[in-house]
Amino acid sequence: MSKKVTISPVTRLEGHGKIEIFMDDKGNVEDAYFQVLELRGFERFCIGRPAEEMPRIVPNICGVCPSPHNMASTKALDDLYSVEPTPTAKLIRQLHYNAFYVEDHYIHFFFLAAPDFVLGPDADPAVRNIVGVIQKVGMEIGGKVINIRKRCREIIKLIASKPCHPEGGLPGGVPRGITEEERKWIKETADDCVEFAQFALKLFKDIVLANKKYLDLVLSDSYGLKTYYMGLVDDKKKVNFYEGKLRVVSPSGGEFALFDPHDYISHIGEWVEPWTYIKLTHLKKVGWSGLIEGDKTSLYRVGPLARLNVAEGMATPLAQKEYEKMYDTLGGKPSHHTLAFHWARLIEALQAAEDMQRIANDPMLTSKDIRNMNLRLKRVGIGCVEAARGTLIHHYETDDRGLITKANLIVATQHNAAPICVSVKKSAQGFVKGSVVKEG
Amino acid sequence: MADKPKVAICWLGGCGGCDEAVVDINEVILKVVDAVELVLWPVALDFKYHHIEAMKDGEIALSIINGNVRNSEQEEVAKLLRNKSQLVLAFGACACFGGTPGMANFRTKEDIFNWVYRDAPTVVNPKKNVPQPKTQVDGKELTLPEFYEQVFALNQVIDVDYYLPGCPPPPDLVVHAITAVLEGKLPPKGSTLAPHKALCDTCLRNKTKPDKLALKNIKRIHEIEAASDTCFLNQGVICLGPATRTGCGEACININIPCRGCFGPVEGVVDSGAKFVSALASIIDAEDDEEMQRIIEKIDDPAGYFYRFTLPVSLLKKKRV
Amino acid sequence: MATYEPKLVCFSCKFGWGYLADEHELAKQVKNWIPIICSGKVDSSHILNAFKQGADGVLILGCRGGDCHYQDGNYEAKKRVILLHKLLESYGIEKERLRIELAMDPEGKRIPVLVKEMSERLKKLGPVKKIEEPAKTASAV
Ligand code: SF4
Ligand code: SF4
Ligand code: SF4
Ligand code: FES
Repeated sequence: MSKKVTISPVTRLEGHGKIEIFMDDKGNVEDAYFQVLELRGFERFCIGRPAEEMPRIVPNICGVCPSPHNMASTKALDDLYSVEPTPTAKLIRQLHYNAFYVEDHYIHFFFLAAPDFVLGPDADPAVRNIVGVIQKVGMEIGGKVINIRKRCREIIKLIASKPCHPEGGLPGGVPRGITEEERKWIKETADDCVEFAQFALKLFKDIVLANKKYLDLVLSDSYGLKTYYMGLVDDKKKVNFYEGKLRVVSPSGGEFALFDPHDYISHIGEWVEPWTYIKLTHLKKVGWSGLIEGDKTSLYRVGPLARLNVAEGMATPLAQKEYEKMYDTLGGKPSHHTLAFHWARLIEALQAAEDMQRIANDPMLTSKDIRNMNLRLKRVGIGCVEAARGTLIHHYETDDRGLITKANLIVATQHNAAPICVSVKKSAQGFVKGSVVKEG
Repeated sequence: MADKPKVAICWLGGCGGCDEAVVDINEVILKVVDAVELVLWPVALDFKYHHIEAMKDGEIALSIINGNVRNSEQEEVAKLLRNKSQLVLAFGACACFGGTPGMANFRTKEDIFNWVYRDAPTVVNPKKNVPQPKTQVDGKELTLPEFYEQVFALNQVIDVDYYLPGCPPPPDLVVHAITAVLEGKLPPKGSTLAPHKALCDTCLRNKTKPDKLALKNIKRIHEIEAASDTCFLNQGVICLGPATRTGCGEACININIPCRGCFGPVEGVVDSGAKFVSALASIIDAEDDEEMQRIIEKIDDPAGYFYRFTLPVSLLKKKRV
Repeated sequence: MATYEPKLVCFSCKFGWGYLADEHELAKQVKNWIPIICSGKVDSSHILNAFKQGADGVLILGCRGGDCHYQDGNYEAKKRVILLHKLLESYGIEKERLRIELAMDPEGKRIPVLVKEMSERLKKLGPVKKIEEPAKTASAV
């Protein structure tokens, strides 16, 4: 008879999940499942809606990564209407997007992940949280995090209204321009973001990397997972959050595929299991492998580490240096360590901050040319961006009034759902020998 | 610790944006965390439902619940928190009215499942699997919540004491609501903790509205280069301002985008769509029947505008099939 | 469906319809008849509410062309009806179930006739489809 342990809800993770762990009578883990418990049906209830309303509807798919949905949708509209955004519109969109990356990566790092490695996974649930982190690292640092987040969200608010639900985004442009007055404080924020990003990396090194015991633990095999990786790269194969081609590298690091997001259907498959509401994405060209890691797997991961693994480097100079340091420490590419996701996140925040600086200094930022009105509806539009948590694809089809007739969405949590299943089982087996299960 | 009021924050069918909205009160969050004992907050804290089940009825002073109810688990959690709490605050448009995902009430469960698990172009499903409430995998049973036929607002499942609308609610109103609870300065049960007026009453563009608006054509937002200081309705673009409660600080208007009604109907109005139908009809300028038909015929998807956030609490609630 | 008798609600403006008729007599002939002052006073929410309460159809009778005593209440009503047609269709309620007629009939003779006519048409459509109402008391925790 096997015994079942349920962990519900899964906490400090966006999305509604539970974990079921099955143990034999000796208390060894036989099996573990990560189940996603809900479905909302966005792809269906947007049928009949005017396409240009989509950037305002889809952010509600995930309020933790609403900007990526808004952006993927807006880019799908560019495609749908065969239109390029004006240079200024593109700068404004990217400013919004980078500001989002900075604040989101920090909320993820400090609120969701740091409780584990700053306080340790064994800490009491009552203190294993951001408040505990702040108590440990000090009020001053806590205040800095909150301050950077607040100021980045001011930029998002300026461009896209509510940070949890951005409303801007039109085919070929943006609804609102930026003034010289506003540029001033945007610039200050961008500068402070770069400084903070470097500070955060130092903090990570001081607290996490200096902790030998913790480092050994997370670099051990049971804390890693060997899968493929997917992410956007620019034409120099550098990390890009906003546009580019999708590149896939194999578990051993070779390039497996490089494709235009328009071809996503021939590369990405969604597998259906009766025990979870989420569809499990995998590489169609490998064929569904089941929930396994290693050379035979068809599973890939996305997100910060995946993007760094698929790219040849970062797009900005300071981030590039950190990138090199990371792979030196971890012993080359690709890295499969879960810990490296956090490290990669901090490096990406630095790239986003540096890119904010570039945009804040661009003379074109404040031009009034924010809309390209040369719209030609072609009835199919596909938009792809890197959400903070990974590749995001929006695919719409419309009738000749531009009303949605079909929508297909591939979201970041999907790509990672199957790998999470594998890693939950693996870490449960690694840690639960002889019956005690830690909540977490 | 012992005398601090216990507070639970929980998401049901929400997007997490309402959880972020709590964090968005920035420095104030530290004070709140100091003044209360948080007993549940899945997105940030590690407490589990069994911690709540072990509590006495009414032990929690306040449960802040965001998200709508679309499945059996969400219903159970809502009822659990109701039993353990003195006050329940429906937080955000999803909890108050069903929210954007409430538009799923225009479709059936079957339609959603067919597309998602069968017809979408990326589906690979040789076994024709569909998520099931109970599945046996290698002799082990896995369960999933039951997906309901429709979306419910929170007050259609449990009693709700207070409402805080918005998608998500803005920081000033969040602070205001939490302070009101902590200081015991609450209005009568059932109140919405937001201003009573319509968005148009506070919108700066209102003064550009002529005495009598007269529209010969309704345009869609991408079709025009909207002026940044003129009332959207005056530019022929649908704006839900006349039928929507104010309180968001004109968030969308500020970025030159019309309102879609996330604050729900103004005080005393049940169906924001009905209210907007009357407002819109009155500004359509048609000489005769034919012109009326022509102008109105060209309004694409009125239901999707008028009930963007409120379909489950509208008078007719859901599509009949 | 042979025995099915559609539930129809009829709002009629007192200024244009049946002001010379015996109201009691007329009320006997027309079930759910609601005489009102100006069709412009029939709010959209009244119409939606009628359907919510289970009506199979709503008929609004307003004054002819320029005859409305409240400027253009009748035109307002007509515009609302056309807009509501689109809205009702999204709810799966056919537009034939909501009708407006602007004319003059002091004797009110046509009221029962129009009601009958519409009822006949609704019979062919069958009753409005029902939805389940949520029950707060469903399963316990
Ligand atoms: S109200 Fe808006 S922000 Fe809040 S949970 Fe619903 S969709 Fe998300
Ligand atoms: S209709 Fe919209 S733009 Fe016009 S005054 Fe009202 S809220 Fe402002
Ligand atoms: S303008 Fe309308 S849709 Fe936008 S935040 Fe305010 S109430 Fe919500
Ligand atoms: S007075 Fe009869 S319709 Fe207005």
